[in-house]
Amino acid sequence: MAKGLTWTIDDADHMTQAEIYGEVLTQLGAQNERIVALTADLAGSTKIGRFQKDFPGRFVNLGVAEMNMMGMASGLASVGFIPVVSTFAVFASLRCAEFVRTDICYQNRNVKIIATHSGTSFGQAGTTHHCTEDLAVMRSFANMKVIAPADSYETARALTAAVETEGPIYMRIGRSFEPPLHKSVDFDFEIGKAIQIHEGTDITVIACGRTVLSALEAAEIAKQQGLSVRVLDMHTVKPIDADAVLQAVGETRRIITAEDHNVVGGLGSAVAEVIAASGKGCVLRKLGLQDEFSIVGYPEDLLHRYGIDGDGIAEAIQQVMKTDFEADEDWEDEV
Amino acid sequence: MALQADERQQLERKANEIRKEIVKITYTCGGTHIGGSLSQTDIVVALYYKYLKLDPKNPEWKDRDRFLLSKGHGGVGHGAVLADVGFFPRSELDDFNKTGSPFGMHLDRLKVKGVDASTGSLGHGLGIGNGMAYGARLLGKTWRTYVLLGDGELNGGPTWEAAMAAGHFKLANLTAFVDRNHLCIDGATEDIMALEPLRGKWEAFGWNALEIDGHDYDQICEAVEAAYQETERPTVIIASTIKGKGVDFMENQASWHYGGLDEAMRDQALESLSKE
Amino acid sequence: MSTRDELKSRLFLRVALPLVKVVREEDPRMRRLTRNMNAVVQFAVKGTDTGAHLVFADDGLEVVQGLHEKPTVSFTFKNLKSLNDFFAGKLALPSIKGLRRLDVILRTVPLLLSLKMLMPAADPKDPAKRAMKVKLLLYMVTTALSQLNKAGEPAMAKLVEKSPDRIYQWIVEGGPSAYLRMKAGKTKAGRGIYTRRRPFVLMKFPSIEGAYQVLTSKVALVEAVKQGYVVTEGAMEYSKEIGIRMQMIEELMAT
Repeated sequence: MAKGLTWTIDDADHMTQAEIYGEVLTQLGAQNERIVALTADLAGSTKIGRFQKDFPGRFVNLGVAEMNMMGMASGLASVGFIPVVSTFAVFASLRCAEFVRTDICYQNRNVKIIATHSGTSFGQAGTTHHCTEDLAVMRSFANMKVIAPADSYETARALTAAVETEGPIYMRIGRSFEPPLHKSVDFDFEIGKAIQIHEGTDITVIACGRTVLSALEAAEIAKQQGLSVRVLDMHTVKPIDADAVLQAVGETRRIITAEDHNVVGGLGSAVAEVIAASGKGCVLRKLGLQDEFSIVGYPEDLLHRYGIDGDGIAEAIQQVMKTDFEADEDWEDEV
Repeated sequence: MALQADERQQLERKANEIRKEIVKITYTCGGTHIGGSLSQTDIVVALYYKYLKLDPKNPEWKDRDRFLLSKGHGGVGHGAVLADVGFFPRSELDDFNKTGSPFGMHLDRLKVKGVDASTGSLGHGLGIGNGMAYGARLLGKTWRTYVLLGDGELNGGPTWEAAMAAGHFKLANLTAFVDRNHLCIDGATEDIMALEPLRGKWEAFGWNALEIDGHDYDQICEAVEAAYQETERPTVIIASTIKGKGVDFMENQASWHYGGLDEAMRDQALESLSKE
Repeated sequence: MSTRDELKSRLFLRVALPLVKVVREEDPRMRRLTRNMNAVVQFAVKGTDTGAHLVFADDGLEVVQGLHEKPTVSFTFKNLKSLNDFFAGKLALPSIKGLRRLDVILRTVPLLLSLKMLMPAADPKDPAKRAMKVKLLLYMVTTALSQLNKAGEPAMAKLVEKSPDRIYQWIVEGGPSAYLRMKAGKTKAGRGIYTRRRPFVLMKFPSIEGAYQVLTSKVALVEAVKQGYVVTEGAMEYSKEIGIRMQMIEELMAT
């Protein structure tokens, strides 16, 4: 692991996503001795090592052997444990796809997969370590629930909910330095229920993961131009909150989806499925990687490149609404 | 403990019965992985009739021994034993391979009582077995985990990941078998993707590795019991077997990895088995 | 592309000098001293049109870049280096025109001298003065970053050239705030909090004293974060990049 990528901020209020997840998992582990944590030589990078400190006997490091890790998780679950497995998203969902599908999903084992560094959040590590296909793949496995928490607080809530819910669950988070969306862990969270982050009536942006904050930024920019933008935090991609989608279709008639993922098969496709099945007319614009592979870059630059940062979403809103925003063109320094 | 003569005879007779069942089911359902099911039968019989702590009336019994048929295509051979031991009525096997039947080429844990994992896609059994063995130890249980692997299956990486982990975690409550019938689908294992020296490989991964004749009950039982003496290492029993064992026209033929039988072939097969 | 001397003079004239306005607004003594003054005080480099002038009028003060037609008092430096030395607090005597208006000179010089507070050596004990130094440094750093880009300085230009519309925001709790906006090659330094978009990088100082430690580089940024003197939010790599350039400015202006 390159040094700079594990720089952390000590202040608890600003714990990075993965650190919060490590903390929460440890707390859950203290309350429930059925929880065991597994990693594939990424304890440090995925912060699940925090659990190891307190419960070394219930922590298993498989080394660089993710497929065996999934198999072991299946075996441990069969004996009554609740395995929480963590590795990078690309390995969890693609390298191990068959093991996740057959050993965990098909046999309906109570395994929770925490896939870190999802989407393009691993920036500098390049395409081999990005994962812009995991939502699509995991969605296609029956029995699997798929969650993409928006920030560290949501990750904490989602993890707790996941441990309390029977069955396989796949949760994808970032690399740990994403800014917070919520102010604390105190908010209503339920697997399968979208959270309305911003009220609006002109157009709806449905986002998941780190693009939710981008969507909120875009809504605030649009508000200054007199546009009323609804923002839905669709943290659970499967089962998707069809009611929330249909309500948005009926009340705003225009939908933009945003995800740090290929537009093929992920959140956008899931929303499209709901819209198509409803038979109602609606404008749908899917933001994300346009069926392309990602490139190496700083994560924020990649968000910008793929049009899923605040500006990108704001521009999409502009285009869908066919309005022009007044740009701020004052470039003189204030002295 | 050495095998008594009458116990050995009972086991051999039971194995012969099971092999005949395999032939009959293969005839009824149109085709099965008969070669490998025949080669594995002595190991499976030894386990189910002498060693595995099970309660057929209570398949979910928490403290049962676990058996994983990692070479899941041996399902018909396993199914025959499970029925005979009493997990479900033998008549259900008549629907083998039929639509809606709980029985297909590969036994499904969710549908068939007595099956501990849905295998078939090779390379999964040892990993899952690791999880079970590790879990047993965490829970302080004494039940054991047995995993039966195919030799062709050992070409794939995941099994070696699992082997390395089992050695590393010192899973002494885990016993693996390799149904070493020296054949995979396209031919001899040593021609397609050589495995030898196989014993050395397992030992290198931290296992207690034993080589036996997979059709000799004295050797099978001695090996199974030797594993019980281990405290620091898992045990693998590399059992040299004959694919298609007991049916003269199938023995050592790669082509009988999978096949169907018409009435004539069935009768010929049964006759061959009766001569054993 | 400017030479080091040109860069420094740019920073002194366009960034540091204008801070006298802030001093005058904040410090009642300075306001009294220059009350109702009507004069133009110019700083220039001989034989060039490099310079800036202070316009005292209507009980106010404006800092204007460039040369005035008829300054009341003019400090002319023999070369760029000399001007830079003067503003860096080193010995450098300009030739002075308009000496007869000694009153203007005597009222302007203290204002100029107040800028000495910006120097690393200046470490006032008085909390009010420390707070003032924080404000001046904050405004100085942000404006300097912008001016470097406008001067085409390579390190800064590289950061700004392809930048999407991004805000780097500094906030001192209970104190001043300032921002740097950049977009596709352009920069703007501003005071207060930019409201039209969320900050891309936010550096929050929980206390004036913490801000003092960081802005005077008494504590390196990474250490400062550990100690809690500053909390950074937003794009991690970019807060590092901007930190490097803040360091660069400090080096340019201190020597």
